[in-house]
Amino acid sequence: MLSLINLLLPALMPSWRFFKAVDPSPRVEWALLADAHSTASDWQEFRPRPQHLSLLQMARRMLWNPRWNEALFLVSCAERLTLAPSEHSRQEILHRIEAALPSPAAGEQKRYLQFRLVFIDREEDGSLVKAVTYQSDPHPISRGPAA
Amino acid sequence: MSLELALRATEILMGFAFVLQSLEHLASFQNEQIIHGPRLVLSGLLLAGIATPWVLLGLLALGLLHLQRFQGPYNGGSDKMSLLILCCLTAARWLPSEHWREYAFAYLAGQLVICYFISGQVKIVNPEWRSGRALQDVFRFSTYPVSESLRAYADRPRLLWMMGWAVMLFELVFPLALFSRETLILALLTAALFHLANACLFGLNRFFWIWLAAYPSLLWLQERLIL
Repeated sequence: MLSLINLLLPALMPSWRFFKAVDPSPRVEWALLADAHSTASDWQEFRPRPQHLSLLQMARRMLWNPRWNEALFLVSCAERLTLAPSEHSRQEILHRIEAALPSPAAGEQKRYLQFRLVFIDREEDGSLVKAVTYQSDPHPISRGPAA
Repeated sequence: MSLELALRATEILMGFAFVLQSLEHLASFQNEQIIHGPRLVLSGLLLAGIATPWVLLGLLALGLLHLQRFQGPYNGGSDKMSLLILCCLTAARWLPSEHWREYAFAYLAGQLVICYFISGQVKIVNPEWRSGRALQDVFRFSTYPVSESLRAYADRPRLLWMMGWAVMLFELVFPLALFSRETLILALLTAALFHLANACLFGLNRFFWIWLAAYPSLLWLQERLIL
């Protein structure tokens, strides 16, 4: 009950400090592993943004934008996981990546999923730097290969 | 604008925003569907104006479940605004005296004014916002631009400097719009355009719809207090 009140209070008395500062920005990357002891090398960004969106696509997204809103939630999870690691945030990211995994190719033996959080920031000279702030343990993929 | 008309307009706009939100969650995991299936039905009843006080209570209960499920807001500020509007509307429909109902709804209007002013104030004290660097960073490396091609705006510093100052000044002077009907309507139209731009450029579509739902409270409060 107390935790629910703690969750509700920021909505009743919001701080409204939108974009106070532009903080380092997280990306979620994932990789598949053959076994729990393998080292991931082929990291892929989860739900990368498209190269271009037409005005019509933007208009459509005004009414129907579930993937993007899910991606914004994952940004929150990534920030929570970096600031105050919790099993909830870890599971949310894992489940959403797992649900979006492409069907395995015939004979593919990769049975484990791993994700990491990469934060992008700007240096004083304007160059962008990346830092890996979190890397999950390998997680067995629950669903079997596509028939 | 009467209190009743403003409440009804808010219920319709919020109900529509909730329908869109819940439809998106219905396309997701089962434990989200359990919350958002009933929420979609209740939002439909709210739009139709059926058993409104009870429907609002039901939506509030589901809102708390939603908070618990995601251990906080799913969509940041838009979820906070959704809950704030819902709490104020529920209070305005359940409180026994007219005065208290007005206070509950006026609280929403007050928060709307504060939200724009505070957003402007926290930006203008930041040198990175004043120099235009912050908005360049938003386009260059933040997670918000909806396509890679939009990142090219980071290389147009003069344009972003002007956009940044326009946003900061608009947010800071927003409370002054309360002094006349015409300026308030103009300010709300400008704010709606601002949210529309954020929705198109940064994918913040939920913010657009739910912020619109708070506008009737301000139109009502201005008439009640000033005109």
